[in-house]
Amino acid sequence: MMPTATKTSPSGAPRPSLGFLICLPLLLSLASPVAGTVAVADTAITVAPEDVWSDDYNNMIFPWAPANDRILQFKEYHTYETMKSRMLRLAEENPDIFEYHEGMNGGTNARGEEVTANAYEGWFYGHASPWMKITGDVQDGEYNPFVGDNGNYADRHDVMIVGNHHAREWMSYTVAIMQMEVIAFSYDNIGYDNDGDGLIDEDPWGDADGDGILDDDGDCLRLDDSFQDSNGDGTPCGPGDLGVDEDYSEQWITDLVNSREIYLIPMLNTDGNIYDRDVYMPGQCPGEEPWDCSAAGWRKNLRDNTVTGVTPIPDLDESVDEGCDGVDLNRNYQFEWGAPLGATGPLFPGMCYAGQNNDVYNGPVDDTDNDGDGQVNEDHVDGKDDDADGVTDEDWWGGNSEPETKFIQDMTEMNDDTGDGASEFKATITHHSFSELILYPWGHCTDCQSPDHFQLMYHGQQLADMTQYANLQSSDLYPTSGDFCDWHYGVHGSYCYTSEIGTAFHQHEDDIDHIAVRNLGTGFYIAEIADSPRERADLEMANISQQNYLQAGDKVDIPSAGDVPIDMCVSNMFPYSESNSKVEWRMVKPSRLQSDYGPREWSTTEWSSASVERVDEACTTASGNGTILRAMIPVAEVSTGELHYKATVSTLTGADLYQYPANGDYYTLQITYRAAFGSFLGAMFMFTVVGTFVWGGLAVALRIMLNPEEDAVLEAELRSEVVGEPL
Amino acid sequence: MSDSDQFNGRMGLIFASIGAAIGTGNIWRFPRMVGANGGGTFLVPWLFFLFVWSIPLVIAEYAMGKRSRTGTIGTFRIFAGRRFAWMGLWTAWISTAIGFYYAVVSGWTLKYFQLGISGALTGDKVDTTEVWNAFLQSPGQVIFFQFVVVLLVLGAIWKGAKAIEKVNFYLMISLFALLFLTLFLSLWMDASDGSLDGALFMFTVDFDMLFEPEVWINGLSQSAWSCSAGMGMCITYAVYMRKDEDTVLNAFTMGLANNSISIIAGLAVLSAIFAVNPDPLATVTGGSSAITFLALPEVFAQAPGGAIGPLFMMAGFFLALSFAAITSMISTVELCVRNFVDHGYDRERSVLITGVAIFLFGLPSAVMWIKLDSAGVAFPEFLEVQDHIWGYGLMFSGLFIAFSIWKYGYIKWRKQVDEGTAPDGLAGYMGLGVSAFRDDFINTGDNDLEVGRWWDVMIYLAFPILFVVLMGSYFTDMIANTENVWDPSNPKGLSIILLFWGVVAVTFMFLNKFLIARPLFRNIPEGADVDISSLPGGEDELVVALGEIVPGFEHLTVKDGVLEAEITG
Repeated sequence: MMPTATKTSPSGAPRPSLGFLICLPLLLSLASPVAGTVAVADTAITVAPEDVWSDDYNNMIFPWAPANDRILQFKEYHTYETMKSRMLRLAEENPDIFEYHEGMNGGTNARGEEVTANAYEGWFYGHASPWMKITGDVQDGEYNPFVGDNGNYADRHDVMIVGNHHAREWMSYTVAIMQMEVIAFSYDNIGYDNDGDGLIDEDPWGDADGDGILDDDGDCLRLDDSFQDSNGDGTPCGPGDLGVDEDYSEQWITDLVNSREIYLIPMLNTDGNIYDRDVYMPGQCPGEEPWDCSAAGWRKNLRDNTVTGVTPIPDLDESVDEGCDGVDLNRNYQFEWGAPLGATGPLFPGMCYAGQNNDVYNGPVDDTDNDGDGQVNEDHVDGKDDDADGVTDEDWWGGNSEPETKFIQDMTEMNDDTGDGASEFKATITHHSFSELILYPWGHCTDCQSPDHFQLMYHGQQLADMTQYANLQSSDLYPTSGDFCDWHYGVHGSYCYTSEIGTAFHQHEDDIDHIAVRNLGTGFYIAEIADSPRERADLEMANISQQNYLQAGDKVDIPSAGDVPIDMCVSNMFPYSESNSKVEWRMVKPSRLQSDYGPREWSTTEWSSASVERVDEACTTASGNGTILRAMIPVAEVSTGELHYKATVSTLTGADLYQYPANGDYYTLQITYRAAFGSFLGAMFMFTVVGTFVWGGLAVALRIMLNPEEDAVLEAELRSEVVGEPL
Repeated sequence: MSDSDQFNGRMGLIFASIGAAIGTGNIWRFPRMVGANGGGTFLVPWLFFLFVWSIPLVIAEYAMGKRSRTGTIGTFRIFAGRRFAWMGLWTAWISTAIGFYYAVVSGWTLKYFQLGISGALTGDKVDTTEVWNAFLQSPGQVIFFQFVVVLLVLGAIWKGAKAIEKVNFYLMISLFALLFLTLFLSLWMDASDGSLDGALFMFTVDFDMLFEPEVWINGLSQSAWSCSAGMGMCITYAVYMRKDEDTVLNAFTMGLANNSISIIAGLAVLSAIFAVNPDPLATVTGGSSAITFLALPEVFAQAPGGAIGPLFMMAGFFLALSFAAITSMISTVELCVRNFVDHGYDRERSVLITGVAIFLFGLPSAVMWIKLDSAGVAFPEFLEVQDHIWGYGLMFSGLFIAFSIWKYGYIKWRKQVDEGTAPDGLAGYMGLGVSAFRDDFINTGDNDLEVGRWWDVMIYLAFPILFVVLMGSYFTDMIANTENVWDPSNPKGLSIILLFWGVVAVTFMFLNKFLIARPLFRNIPEGADVDISSLPGGEDELVVALGEIVPGFEHLTVKDGVLEAEITG
């Protein structure tokens, strides 16, 4: 067993604790009382955290454990063992909502396969993934003999929250454990004052009041500037800072628990996690803390890739062969499993190479005839009937070969509370680390969009706003095949998100608590939307579209030369498509039909469209920040009249179009003549030409007329001057 | 023969024709078109179409009138044949129908001269919109000035050609002088801010805009309307031509003089507006009556020279404008009167009837449907609707003239082919038929100038193409820009135009048989009698010289006291 993380590493100086950093400005101000009083006299009273919140809150002492329990206080990482014992303890203390499990009972799974409980146990250490079934009255409801859990209710939507697909991503299970702690502490603990400021439930996760500011109660923002960035990430009053999203509603959590079945699997890859902590990292950096070690860590599970049953080469090394063994669990799901993107494995079974992509080995090719029709691998899992036999995805190429992924697959597919044949999991999230990202499907294809693209993007943006992470389609980061979310969404239509937590695989232990806090809301958000994620997104999208606006005519600056820029402010929460959005315009010019006696009349050109381009300037919508999309309207500098314009903003898929202003209306902009009035030389030239034609011609004509004698002479002249020219 | 009527001198015809051609279109429409079509750019198509459209048609009109020696009805009866006399009636009607409201418009200009000379437009804080609205909304005022115009016009034409000549001569000379005065003051104003930007704008060609069809269509319409080409005015005045009058030179002189005035007026208006207006082109391209009666008084009020400058400028400009309007009005009334006289009516009585009709039928345009536009400026909607309906009817008058020419050429060629004196086939037609009108009626030997083949090209090729372009663009624009364009009750729609045109054309075709049943008296000055027998309507026994007695219609000459007196005198 790897020694648990200690406060200081042998090779490095102790890092100052967060609490010390927070207090530093305070200590400094105490050290100079004179300056302090002057400041008070001159400016507003300095507000320090202790003026607002309880000491426990200020020092991130969580109420569910003694202050000196460093693991339960998230000052040290849980290990598999501590996590398991904590889960057992929580289940024991909260029997009405928690039911502890490891793996599943097995039986006949959704594909008709006979599965036993040990099928879900890790190859190496033999542990099945511990998980917690969380719902109100968990001991009641239906019993699911395959899964082994109670508390199955047809009217409760199932949510799956999975941590630690990848062994070394320690924050990914930590966040899930903290969510479990919060649920246990908050359930039926209505009106608890989380931050000790005397107010309750005043600042839930995310931007609850829609003003674009996460700190809904403004307590962090009220602090002196020096206290606003308690987590030291450079963002004042950002997520994870003291006072931000710190006092969620216990009633809301209670209601959520009572209306959802939460399947919380903090550590899916127990084998890998134990190995990473106890063997791999100490092997890489003996005596160092993992966060001080330059090695990235162990990623995969511990499948023994040299034991295949078909290779003549005996597996002489029963211990883990680090250059070869293991499967990347998040490449092992069956949807669009395998080729061609980003996941390669042994070229031949039993052969092993430590190539570049070995870390993303997706598991062995399936060589069984899954449907027993005599053909092998004829219908890959991709949602299509590849062999046109009327059955879809029935004989896969591979994937779900590992105990951990089989566990996810069977748990998903065997949880059909309503008996309609469809998975109950409408929303899922899997925590990873690191990169500070929120990813949504697809992962397996680039330049592609899923059918629910803009709805997926919408919820992703909510998660990203909550954490101030970046929201993007998974494949835009890098393509992945066979990942958890592609499978969940592609096979079961579940809105599935991958959160990439933090800034390191083995995040420094000083940062555990505030990073966990920063990411705490995501699991709850997923649970909340699990009833009908698509409809929720559609409704919210329609609402958000109201915040977008087109610059009205009186706000437009007409440049003295060139095209006229028309700006559109699009809410950052609105998943716009730059290429599908457009500004339509037409000119209304004085009409050629204009009466010589009546008022000005107008002729109107057809609507034309101009493309929009994102510009690097911010704008503010009614409740938040926006992006400026600018269209350059090609209005000639010599044009006068009115410019009519309106915008259509498309969602990313182009599925929804919103018009600005609404109802087919348009804005009007007066266009004045902007070109130069003329050039001296050009005017002189034209004047000479016109003068010669008109007055010269007139003079010649009159001369001929009045001097008949000179007719003959002048005739030739006139011919060349006047008659000849227009021909 | 003393009973014929003719101009005294060569300049008489010129001044009368120029008076007819120069109207409000030169002074208030031209600057607007220049403003809306890229300044100097517009001058290119505008000049081009002077030679391609206007002058060829005017040459044709002079040639026809000089030969037929009758007004429009008689001219078409002789040139197009007995069955087509109604075309002359159409031409006369369109001109007269326009005259109904044109008298009202002329009255406005007179009123503004009165306002200008009395200083009512130059004082402090004069709101020109208020002045305009107050005027247009007081029927008494509008009718009074309309009445004055009709009286002036009747006085001018009462005595016939020699009086018309004299009036036009003085008015035109004054108009030149007044416009030059205005131009001088305008240029002074424009130059006082350091640049002649109005003049620069008016003479700078934007080569990009030169390729826009819009500019060319506008240039064509300006040339077609402002020159009065193809409207029957020149047919009418040609009736009074002396024998040796040069139709071609007259046409060029008239066309070029018309454009000269446009340039002077355009330069004066644009310079003045550019001198004082921060956004001159928005002003220039505003509604037409708006620029003339709202913007210009404001601009002129800022003329230099203390109190005198603005007064001079204002009064000078509006006097010039009213002279332009009145001389055009004269030709309109004369066109109608000539047709009466041709059919044996006494001149004074014809003048009186026409004058009263023009006044009475102009009343609705003067006072009906005076509305406010969105900017709060009054405008006479009934008048505008009249213009909407009849304005483009003028184009058909031009088409009828071309039709007569085409028909004459074809008939003459066929006849010669039948006689064996001309080759058959396209080459024969191109050789003889196409040039027949030019050979027989334009290059008659009286001309200082002979017209070449180019004229045939214009009439046979350019004219029909441009006619289609002009009508096509007008109607497509209307269809594109008018709501309920096909609704016959929409006074600005297309249906109402087609309805009125159709009713008028059908009625006139029906009336044709009554027209040709009457004798037609040609106004042939001494020694000017030329053969018309080769023309489609030339063999008509009822077509006689003025003073001749037609059997069965003796009352027409006998009862005509004045004619009698002239004959005896």
